[in-house]
Amino acid sequence: MIARQQVGLATCTLGEVKNRADLVIFWGCNPRESHQRHQARYSASVKGQFIPEGRKGRRIVAIDVRPTSTTAAADQFIQVEPGSTFETATLLRALVAGKRIGIEEDAKVGGVPLHVWRELAEAIKAADYGVILFGLGVTHDRGHDLNVEELGALIREVNDYTRFYGLPMRGHGNVTGSNQVMGWQTGYPIAVNFNRGYPRYNPGEFSVLGLLAREEVDAAIIIATDPGAHLPGDSVAALQAIPTIYLEPHVNTTTGWATVVIPVAPAGVAAEGTFYRMDNVPLRVRKLVDSPFPSDEEVLRSIKETILHA
Amino acid sequence: MLRVTNGRVHDPGNAVAGEVRDVWLDGGKVVAEPAAEPADVATLDAAGCVVFPGGVELHSHVAGSKVNAGRIMCPEDHVDHYRCRTDVTRAGCGHTVPTTYLTGYEYARLGYTTLFEAAVPPLTARHAHEELRDIPILDTGCYTVMGNNHLVMKVLSDPDEERRAARLRDLVAWLLHATRAYAVKIVNPGGVESWKWHGGPVDLDTSVPPYGVTPRRILTGLAAAADELGLPHPVHVHLNHLGVPGNVAVTLASMQALAGRRAHFTHLQFHSYEATRSGSYASGAPAVAESINQHPEFTCDVGQLVFGPATTMTSDAPMEFRLHHLHKDKWANSDIEMESGAGVVPMRYSPRQLVNAVQWCVGLELMLLIRDPWRVFLTTDHPNAGPFVAYPMIVRLLMDREFRREWLEKLNPRVRRFTTLHELDREYTLDEIATVTRAGQARVLGLADKGHLGVGADADVAVYREQGDRERMFAAPAWVVKGGEVVVRDGEVVAAVDGRPLGVDLGDPPPLAADLAEQFESYSSVRLANYAVEDAYVPDQVLIPCAP
Ligand SMILES: [Zn+2]
Repeated sequence: MIARQQVGLATCTLGEVKNRADLVIFWGCNPRESHQRHQARYSASVKGQFIPEGRKGRRIVAIDVRPTSTTAAADQFIQVEPGSTFETATLLRALVAGKRIGIEEDAKVGGVPLHVWRELAEAIKAADYGVILFGLGVTHDRGHDLNVEELGALIREVNDYTRFYGLPMRGHGNVTGSNQVMGWQTGYPIAVNFNRGYPRYNPGEFSVLGLLAREEVDAAIIIATDPGAHLPGDSVAALQAIPTIYLEPHVNTTTGWATVVIPVAPAGVAAEGTFYRMDNVPLRVRKLVDSPFPSDEEVLRSIKETILHA
Repeated sequence: MLRVTNGRVHDPGNAVAGEVRDVWLDGGKVVAEPAAEPADVATLDAAGCVVFPGGVELHSHVAGSKVNAGRIMCPEDHVDHYRCRTDVTRAGCGHTVPTTYLTGYEYARLGYTTLFEAAVPPLTARHAHEELRDIPILDTGCYTVMGNNHLVMKVLSDPDEERRAARLRDLVAWLLHATRAYAVKIVNPGGVESWKWHGGPVDLDTSVPPYGVTPRRILTGLAAAADELGLPHPVHVHLNHLGVPGNVAVTLASMQALAGRRAHFTHLQFHSYEATRSGSYASGAPAVAESINQHPEFTCDVGQLVFGPATTMTSDAPMEFRLHHLHKDKWANSDIEMESGAGVVPMRYSPRQLVNAVQWCVGLELMLLIRDPWRVFLTTDHPNAGPFVAYPMIVRLLMDREFRREWLEKLNPRVRRFTTLHELDREYTLDEIATVTRAGQARVLGLADKGHLGVGADADVAVYREQGDRERMFAAPAWVVKGGEVVVRDGEVVAAVDGRPLGVDLGDPPPLAADLAEQFESYSSVRLANYAVEDAYVPDQVLIPCAP
């Protein structure tokens, strides 16, 4: 997110990956484990309109710090040292731009010989339509947002030669939808603070971890996430020390300690709504079965109305 | 019942030009003066005011995927432009890309009551409708981009002229219905697809892969389909070569190609440049204005440049990439499978920059040289040429030639060599302003109940206090009434009613042809059954009839 605010991101929908991408680079992600239908539907074996041979029509490169099932199925696996994303992306930018690199061809960058990077840069420029699909290995590597910013800059610059795009491999259900709605209602995708009566944005300061660490939160409503499983221990302890209202369809690591647990109908199963796919395509999720429980929306609406009329 | 009394009414649709008369509103409509004084009537005393129909915005970028990409990409746009919540309004922020709620309040505060989002790719139409629902007060609709759509180009590649026309008509009806949209939008016909193939900019007769159709065929085919379906609004066209010196040639050639068909040319300012010998910008406005003057079947909006910050956002992905290269600032792009593209680039226009100064003059030249105010409309292509909140200032520029001269003095002085604005003395009248900001838009949109104050019109009214300074006058209406309710008083929002979604009544369009359905199922990343926007996204949509 912060990287997108620094340089923007050139991206495309998953159907474009399927129909056009002849070079797919999985960087710091393992969709064979995390997004199990991704490769078959969009990015590897699928036949696309202009990639009629499917897997044979695509060159697949995997960049990661360790072998995974995704790297095993790639045409080329580039095993890098941890903490090298920024450095290697910078090198690729220089190679794509044809800049002189003042080191030997077999000298290593990120644990990989320069000539391997040079060949990758050439493959990027030679592709008709290339994409980098990047995951936690990029965003959680040393450098964090700066890594994404550097990848974004690389992607942007390659567009001087060919079409080239990046897609973050996002997980966590409808996190894209949450960013979108926050965006149009508050102007900011995450970390919005309303305590002055208007939206203010400061990731870090107003993120969940920052607010909890400074003990600025005196009550919390938690929706569609399991902080007991996803937050560090001291953040969980801070939540446990204040009143919490938790909307959740299933028993999990948070339901045991939340002050109030309101069971809700699971979205896409017992409640309808809009789901924003990782490429920002909005999809309708339908209600398939009845639930004795209200939807998230109904619960929030009734809490709001109760407060308004109190 | 509500009576607006003692005001000077400017209702050009009904040939009322500043007469003092009462306007009666009841049940959301303008009604005839009751025979006897009704018992239950509220009165707005508009003495010293002008009374206009509610404003109608026919081309703005306010909702959907690329607008939100602009918001998310540009926190610096919002930080100094925020509004706290009040008893009736929600908090919001943003200057060139305001949040949805703030967008509704800001339009209403200028007297606008109807608003169209100008470019929605079908695949993300749900998103646009979700945002439009979160724009309060105004009635809203959107246009579907079709000028680079694979199904459209595939149908157009059929050599059999008659079959091609019939199939395209069905497809256009199906696409409009599937997206719950109001009109057919064409953006850089063929040019976005060409870019995906590393092709350069396309001319009217460039064959565009993969279907080998030309922009000429896309333009004329879609214009004919819109006509034959009897859509209330004609094709809404963003031409090829936006923003490029010398593009006046493709603009005039496209107009020639569409002669005899209804067509609306949008943000014509960006398409009216001659090239100087060094390849720089000069005004092509006189030739373009003359072409519009000669073709009564055409309308246009201007896309007037506003000095200061802007955020360019269009489906014209290659154009945005070119803009990004001018400044090397942020660039967001999204190619959309089988349909379109999108780009976002932040921008700042400066009066000292010769190019920007020329662009600023070209917009005003078009407004002043096109004689019929029913066929040229005031827009800033918000937020591409500048934010819509600049409308009051632009109105003053049109009405006040002294003010225009003062501004010309502030521009890069070389601008006089490349434009003719300094030679133009025309000043708009209040009636003409009412025409270019509401009456004309409503007419070309086919909205019979909007843009006028005759009996049966929607009870949407804007009342402005007469002032010599037209900018101040139009910046803070005394009252704005939407659907019979006072929503703005003295320039502040006092009630945030809900607007209604606007669509077209296509009956039950035929299903997608089998070969197109098969193509869709093979290459789209969503199933055909999940593609069409559900009723839930456009509750109680008002359907405007077609006249085939
Ligand atoms: Zn536009």
